[in-house]
Formats: sequence, C-alpha cells, structure tokens
Amino acid sequence: MDTTNITNGIGKSQERREDFRFLTGAGSYIDDMNLDGQAYATVLRSPEAHADVSSIDITEALALDGVLAIITGEDWKVAGYNPIPTKSAVRKAIDGSDLKEPPHHPLAIDRVRYVGQPVALVVAESIDVCKDAMELIDVDYDSLPSVSHQSEAIKDGAPQIWDIAPNNICLDFELGDQKAQKKAFSEADHIVTLNLVNNRVTAVPIEPRGALASYDAGTGKYTLWNASQNIHAGRDTIADAVLGIGKENLHHIAPDVGGGFGVKNGVYPEPILILHATKLLERPVKWFNDRSESFLSDTHGRDQVSTVQLALDKDGTFRGLRTETVGNLGAFCATVGPFTPTGGSSRTQGGPYRFDAIYYTAIAPFTNTCPLDPYRGAGRPEGSYQMDRIIDYAAAQLGMDPIELRRKNLIPTEDLPMKSPMGLDIDCGNFPEVFEQTIAMSDRDGYDARVQKSAAAGKKRGFGISMYLECTGGGPKEEAKVSFREDGKIDLSVGSSSTGMGHETAFAQILAGHLGLEIDDVVFRQADTEATAIGGGHGGSRGLEVGGSAVLQTSREIVEAGKKIAAHKFDVDADKVEFSEGHFHVPGSNHTMTMREAIDAQNDPDMLPDDMEPGALNISSVFERGIISIPNGGHAVEVEVDPETGTIKVDGYWVMDDFGTIINPMLADGQVMGGVAQGLGQALMENIVYDDGGQLVTGSLMDYAMPRADDMPRMVIGYYEDAPTAKNLLGVKGAGEAGCVGAPPAIVNAVCDALKDFGVHHIDMPLTPERVWRAIEDAKAS
Amino acid sequence: MPLITVHVNGVETTKEVEPRTLLSTFIREELKLTGTHVGCDTSQCGACVVSIDGKTIKSCASFAWQFDGAKIQTIEGLANGTELHPMQEAFRTHHGLQCGFCTPGMVMTAVALVENNPDISENGIREGLEGNICRCTGYQNIIDAVKTGAKAMRG
Amino acid sequence: MYEFDIITPNSIDAAKSEFDAAEDGQFLAGGQTLIPVLKQRLAMPSDLIDLEHVHGLSGISASGDTISIKAMTRHTEVAADHEVQAAIPALSKLANGIGDMHVRNRGTIGGSIANNDPAADYPAAVLALHATIVTDRREILADHFFTGMFETALEEGELITEIHFPIPEAASYMKFANPATRYALVGVMVAKSHNNVRVAITGAGPCVFRDAEMEQALMGNFSPESIKDGMIPADDLNTDIHASREYRAHLISVMVRRAVAEAVG
Repeated sequence: MDTTNITNGIGKSQERREDFRFLTGAGSYIDDMNLDGQAYATVLRSPEAHADVSSIDITEALALDGVLAIITGEDWKVAGYNPIPTKSAVRKAIDGSDLKEPPHHPLAIDRVRYVGQPVALVVAESIDVCKDAMELIDVDYDSLPSVSHQSEAIKDGAPQIWDIAPNNICLDFELGDQKAQKKAFSEADHIVTLNLVNNRVTAVPIEPRGALASYDAGTGKYTLWNASQNIHAGRDTIADAVLGIGKENLHHIAPDVGGGFGVKNGVYPEPILILHATKLLERPVKWFNDRSESFLSDTHGRDQVSTVQLALDKDGTFRGLRTETVGNLGAFCATVGPFTPTGGSSRTQGGPYRFDAIYYTAIAPFTNTCPLDPYRGAGRPEGSYQMDRIIDYAAAQLGMDPIELRRKNLIPTEDLPMKSPMGLDIDCGNFPEVFEQTIAMSDRDGYDARVQKSAAAGKKRGFGISMYLECTGGGPKEEAKVSFREDGKIDLSVGSSSTGMGHETAFAQILAGHLGLEIDDVVFRQADTEATAIGGGHGGSRGLEVGGSAVLQTSREIVEAGKKIAAHKFDVDADKVEFSEGHFHVPGSNHTMTMREAIDAQNDPDMLPDDMEPGALNISSVFERGIISIPNGGHAVEVEVDPETGTIKVDGYWVMDDFGTIINPMLADGQVMGGVAQGLGQALMENIVYDDGGQLVTGSLMDYAMPRADDMPRMVIGYYEDAPTAKNLLGVKGAGEAGCVGAPPAIVNAVCDALKDFGVHHIDMPLTPERVWRAIEDAKAS
Repeated sequence: MPLITVHVNGVETTKEVEPRTLLSTFIREELKLTGTHVGCDTSQCGACVVSIDGKTIKSCASFAWQFDGAKIQTIEGLANGTELHPMQEAFRTHHGLQCGFCTPGMVMTAVALVENNPDISENGIREGLEGNICRCTGYQNIIDAVKTGAKAMRG
Repeated sequence: MYEFDIITPNSIDAAKSEFDAAEDGQFLAGGQTLIPVLKQRLAMPSDLIDLEHVHGLSGISASGDTISIKAMTRHTEVAADHEVQAAIPALSKLANGIGDMHVRNRGTIGGSIANNDPAADYPAAVLALHATIVTDRREILADHFFTGMFETALEEGELITEIHFPIPEAASYMKFANPATRYALVGVMVAKSHNNVRVAITGAGPCVFRDAEMEQALMGNFSPESIKDGMIPADDLNTDIHASREYRAHLISVMVRRAVAEAVG
C-alpha cells in the first residue's frame, strides 16, 4: 500500500472544527430548522399489537380549527404508492426460495401489526392542534392474537402475522461447512453447549428522528431535510422505489444530526408521509418524534436467541463451532432487516480463533413488535458475544484457564492472509500480540491485591477478557469532490455521513495534509444529494475506510493534475515533477511552485498546458473499496460484585485495538469509548421489553436504563498500528463499532469470573442486580 | 395571556406567553435560541438544561411564566463573542462532544457544578452529571473536560 | 398539554380561596412531577395555583430538638443547610440523592410529600423521624399521613405549610436506586431516639410503611445482626421489570442492616 504523502496531518489529534458551533448552540439540527408557512405533522400510532382496522373516523378531527389534512391507510391505498423495499443483501432461504417480504407501507392498511405502527398522519398549524386532533380520531380496532417473542412465533399454532410467511418465518440461513463441522465434532474430546440471549436494545440517540419536507409547485421538485444517515440511497428508495417521483426531483439533505448509531440509516415511514403531505398542501411540513415515539418506532437492535457449541480437544485446541440462532425481524423487513441475523451475524463467527470448521444457521422470524435493523455492530456484537462467552464457559466446565485457552487458539500471524471458515478474507493482523498487549495493559500483577481488598469489603472481584474480530461494511463506494474557490476556501463535499464521528475534521485533515494547505480553509459538506452525485452514507464503520480513502484519492488526483501545471510553468515533462510538503519541485533544479500557486493558476488558460481546461484541479473522484477490512482487538475488564445486592461496578477497563493506521487518535478514542458505553449498557442495564400482549413495557427513559457518567469506568485505550491493511488507500480498519462488539462478552466474562466461587457460570444480559442476585441464590440452592 | 419579562443572556425581553408554554419551547421558538435541545419527554436526558440565577434547571420541566423577572443563561450566553468560556474551550480540547446534541445542557451543568464546588473531584463530577445523558462519548472526555474547565475557572 | 389558567397568590389564604374558586384547581409547587404529568396529558386541571410567591412558605429553622422545613423549600436547600447537616445528616443525604441536581433545584419537600409517590424518598424520612406535618388547618402526625398509593390524609385544597422533624439520636437513609429513574426501588430510613426505633421503607410497596418486627428487633439490639432474612413478606410488595417482590423483600433486609450500621458507626 502506497502511503507516500499521507503522513502530513495523519496521526494528529486535530481538534474538531465542528465543535465551535456545537459548543455555542449554533448547530443546526432538524428541529432547529423552520420554513415560512410550515405546517406540523404528528403520527397517530397503533395502540394494538395485532388488529384489523375496521374503521377510522376522522370527521371530528378534520373539523377542528387549524387541522389541515389527515391521511389514513385508505388514502395511501388509493394513492397507489409502492411499499418500502428491504435492501437486505441476503435474499434467499436455504432451499433457494426468496425471502418472504411482506408489503411495508408507511401507513397501516387494513391491519396493524405492532404497537406504534403509523395509522394516520395529522397535519395542522401547530403540534398542540395535531395532538388535539389525534384525540378526536376514532379508530375501530378488532384485536387479533399477537406474538411478541421469536421462539413463540415460530411454533406451530402461533398467531400468523403474514399469510406469505408460514410459521412467521421470513427466511432461514446457513453458512459454513456442516459436514466438516460434524466431523470436527465427532473427533473432538469435548463438546460444550451454551444457550445465549443477545438482548433487545434500542439506540437512543439523544436527538430523536425528524424531517422537514417542502415542495416547489413551479419546478415539481421536493426538498427533504432529514435527520438521516443514509441520504443518497434513501433518496433513491423514497423517490424512485416508493413515491415514483423520480430521484432527480428529490433533493435530500441531512442537517447536523444528533447521533445515529445505525438507527437513522433506514428508510422510515414518516419522511415519506410528509413528502406526500407537502405536495398535497403546497406548504412545508415538519415532523419531529418525541422520545416515547422513538422507543416505539426507531428500529430496535440485536434480539437473538442462540445455542452455541464449541468442540475442543482435551489439550484445549478448538476443533469446531456450531451456532444456531433465532433472530427477530419485528413486524416487517426493515431496510437491512433480514441481513442482520443471517449474513451479518455469521461473517465473523469464530472470531480471531482457529477452527477446523464452523457451521452457522439462523432463522429470521416476524413478531408483532417494532421492526429491527442494524444498531452499531449489526450482527458482529452478537457473533463476538457468542464466541467469547462460550470460551469462558467451556473453560469453567472443563477446568481450563480462559486466558490460556485463547492463547492456544488465536490465529497465528504466519497463517495470514487467510480465508476464515465463514469465507471472511482476513488479510492482516497480529492477534496473539494484540492479546498479550491487552493483558499487559491491565495490571495483572496488582490483581490479587485488589481481589483481597474487595473481599475485605465483602465484595467479589473478577477479571474478564474478549478478543473481538470485526469486519466493516456499509456502501463500498464514495465520492469526494473538491473545488477551489476564488476567496481561497476549499469546498470539500463527501457523500458519507457523520453524526458526531468528526468527518468534518478527519476528512479535512486528510485533504489539507496531503495538499499542504490550511485545514481551516476547508469548507465541508456532506450528506446532500446536490453536493455529490453518489454517496454511501453511514454504516459499517465505513467513514474513514471508504470516505477517507475517497478524499485521499481525490487529493492524489489533484496533485497529479497540479504536476502538469507545474511542469508547464517549469517547461519540463510532467513526470519530472515531484510533490512534497505542499510544493511541486524538480529534483536537481531550483524550480518550485506551491500548491496554492497551482490552484491560483488553474483558471488562467495561459498557465495551463494545451490539454488542460480551466478548473482542472476541481476534481471529483469515486473510491470503491474492494473488500472489507478486519478491525480487531482485545477488551479486558475488572468488575466488583456485591453479592448481597447483585450490584456490579465495572472497575477497570482496558482496550487494545488494531484499527490499522490511526488518522486522528483523539477521534478514534472517542469512538471506542462511546462504543464501550453502549456495550456496557447492553450488558448491564438496557433492555427493550414487550409483554405477552405486544405492549412495549420499556417505552421511555423511566423504564429503559441508560449508562450515566457514574456508571462508566475509566477506560485505557491503546492502538496496535503494525498491521495496516492494503485494502484501502489509508490503511485504516473501521473503528466506529468495535467498542460495543468487544465490551459485552468481556464484562459478562468478568462477572462470571467474580461469581465462580458461587458456582455461577452464566447469566443472560442485561446483568441487572436482581439477575445477579438470583443467579447466586440459585447456584447456592443447587 | 401572561406577559413576562425575562433577562436572557443579558438581553431583556418582554413577551406574551400561554400558561402551558414550556420554558424550553419559549427559549427555542419565541427567542429563537435553538442551542437548548429537547431530547426526551420525561425530563431525564438533561439536553434542555439552562441556568436561572446561577442554578441549573431542566427547561422542559418548567413553564416560561414561572421565570418572569429571572436572569436566564442559555448556552448561547456563555461565550464572549468568539472567545469561548473556559469550560467550552475545555470540552473542545478534550473532545468532550461528538454529535453535539447533549452538549449545551452538559456544558451548562458543568459550569454550574464548578461554580458551586471549584475543587470538585472526579467522583463529584460523575455524580453531578447524573442528570445529563450522553450517548456518544462514554463520558470520559467530558469528565476530563470538566476538570480542565474547573482549573481554568479557578484561575 | 391541555390549556389551563394560572393564578399566583401571595398568601396562604389567597391560595386557599383561589383553589376553592377554581373549577378543578391544582397546586403547583416545584413542578418536577406535575409538569411531566401535564405534558403526557394525564391530567386536565382548569387552574394551576402557583405556590412560588406565597409568603412565608420557604425556609429551614432549628429550635432545640426540632428541625422545621417549610413546604416550598427546595431539595438543594435542604441538602446544603448546615443545621440539617449537623442535626439530621441522614435527611441531608436523602435530599441530596433525590433525582439529579436540576430536579433538586426545583423540587420541594411539600410537593413530594403531598404527592406521595410510592418511590419517593421523603416519605421514608417523614415516617421514620416521626415528623409532624403542619397544614393550613391542622397538624397531622406522620403515622396518619400516608394512606395509600399517591394518597394522603390531606383534604381537598388542604395545603402543607411546614414539616417538623424531631431530631433523632441517630438515623440513616439507605437507598437502592432504580437504574432508569433513580427513584427508590427500596429506600430505607432507620431512626433511633431514646429507646425507640422506627424503620420506614419506601419504594418497595404501594405506599411507604413501617415494619414492627424489625423495629422490635432493633429496639432489643440496635445492630445489623438483629435483622434476619424473611422479616418482610414479599406478598404485598411491588413487582415490575426492575425488581420482583422477592428481590425487594431481600433488599429491604440488606438496606436496613446497612442503615443500622451507618447509624451506629
């Protein structure tokens, strides 16, 4: 991989340029935006989990002063729009048949299938009028039996949610070599089995979802500002696939977005509904969810029930791995939906450990709950959790040391590059070294003394470790467009989407660093269908890998073009010109020209060679990633458990990550720490709960516990940079999701270690104090 | 409709408000100060925190009319033109924000914590921030920012 | 939320007469409970009678063997008051643990007690410390005040003006918080005065309650060992996704032991 000229600016903890406006309250988030004459929209949501809608009476509501329009499922049916398609990359069941994709319309037509499903859109002069109107809408629901839990949904006799999906199964899936796995199992000395739950969670970005739509009757064009992370693909789906208005007629833009974590990637009903409304009323229409609606309608994450089996020899060598998962799609296939428990959860099975064979199967069922879609990690946290939990569980069952077991089985560097049994292209890495460095960071020498200190206070201390293998994803292509303004500023437009990750800074760092220009001169634009022709948005930790590479590629093309201008000035052949430290020069001569001078020259025909047009340095380039990169690393955790109450304090946290080249260490740290917090939240306190009647029990922050400052340990983070990848121009491996992939198993491992004297070897997440207490009591009793 | 006079970031304003208008709505929609954010509907996330006469409150759990005559400081009132308040500067240097949505409430809370207790400890900071949820940062850089901000504020 | 009118009386008499005159009036104290309720459209008062400007309804005083806290005193003020810290540090600790800093700057003791949320902290203190609730028309002993879930002995329109807390020999408040709301899943105050011990438990049941068996045991021997498991039957306790009744029963024992240990040492 050619890393020439990328050293400037790389590796510097550059302070963020976007911070000034965020710190002074000058950010422009969707609810901060208002257009003259705008109307407000709210969504009437189903209170039933599964019911026929026998009638909707909007007469009284429509008559209310200030109500402008009410759109129901009947209206939507008449309008004849297409349903929202799923973009799942996995589309076939094991027998080769297509996945069962029920029609997903933005409004319920005739039947509701989850609590929170949109039933009507109300548009009025104010939110208060909308709310008054919603109370006057009379919906007649005929309740049907419903099913909330995936294991119940696939049983014979369960309520059927979709006629096209018998046993409520959307598709089933397999990956790996079953024959080889069975052989490995038959030859192994031990087979250890563990049933695991990966609990259902929700992203809770502090900014709920919202959008603002306007329509220009003169041009027939729509504009949609949307707190979304997937602007270009979203535009295509909404404009072409669903509304049929033509994608050239929809300008889709993301303003500042207050966090996403994947949950703002998908195509949701509400922005589509307000586009319809804005055309109907010829007034801008604004919608903004409140937090309760977020809990009901933001796609949920994870929610898998699995059986994992590890086959190993008596000397600890891993032979085979078998994982069976029942996922959960909710009531519809969401935008990525079926991919998460199938392709998404299978790719990294086995982690960084050596296996003869792995076989993975999954079922993706529908339930009468909110649809599920990727949430930070999107299948890899599930895989990592299965792998690192069963290692510790097996160690406990067989009287082996979990650290030694890992040492013995981590893929040695000399085996790389290799294809994993799941077909994952692991190009580079040094798992054994990263593992040792993780352990070395965690002060094992002082551990025994800390154990004594905890014991003296009546507490149990435990240590846990995980070695995660990540893989990136998201759209493989990205466009970066640069143009140089007369005022000296540099317009940089990228089609990716940052919702706090700092692209505005990191991408500017790459561009300015490579060209030898001032980072403060870069004016950044992202997530706007009129700024770049294509855009891969956000997802799969692709920001630097694909977006950053696109910026670097464009920068290099600018340099190549600049060399021609310099060569023209120097009157030499272009291949004699070199570029470094912001200067074009010819070695062995005193010809020199700065990048700035080349930029100033680019619009003057006299300064350009014959084959160059003015503006030749204003370049747009598309980078396409070949294959995904493989971030990896170790998490080490110490916990202190109070056996009397079951309370867990996470008391030590160390991470060693291999993210390849680190562009901005400060930003990388931020991603890891945020990810660890989400992983800790899932492991210890977060849980989306539906009751048996399909009612969302955890519908607000009163019931959904989120980590606060006093829940978090101090985290120590290190980077292993000796294995940069050749798969992209920067050598980076996507960092954004790794934190929440490695955290849950390491934390649960630590707790089980703390409680091993009680005979507790597994507790399902979230490890609430009560669950811990009960596990101890149950173990004492048996 | 009650008529209220408030002093917001040093500027006096008199406006009519409905009894049911929340202070957060008043600040955002009447005064057009959109730096104060609304992140939840059960008064738990802290994104809406502002300072009244030096004490932080959740503006979403208060009515505008309750603060007739009060001195209100929002995030927009913290910096001095382009010169950031030491706490804002500390958040920037320590990367104490990512998406920025919880940040206004977080910074207003941090300033109040330090003003009430200039020698605040790390534990004190963690506990003091229990009414402010951040989903992006994992809090560590925020804690470090508050420590640095405190030092600068102590002068 | 629904519309309503506001009234801002300056005296208790005015507050009372405004309340009587209103179609469906509600007193507004700190608003930290009422305003979220109104936002959810769970209540529809015609008038809110704001107590903020009623003279003489705020303040803390100590006299001899009593700490008196006026109804509109904010939690922050109770937590920071030197006299409370010196005389009843458990009360100061309790106030400092309510909600978060922003809530404490607005929430009031009168509002909390009048509301009697099953998971609120103050009811445990009022009950354990054998406080007297003074209203605009009478005095009510703590033992007679809390009558059920969100129910008190207050009559329609009756206004709490002050709470008198007898200063105990020793007291401690131990709280096991709900991780989401930070309300009490189980909150226990133990107070010892002369040879009398009172144990009040909030969060665990539909209403704050005392436990006679624990009190007896502690009067015999004021030490953690006096509290045995199973003293509190789980049957009548609250159960929800955050804590089952069996777990709450267990936590009560643990928290009482810890409160006694703190009160002693």
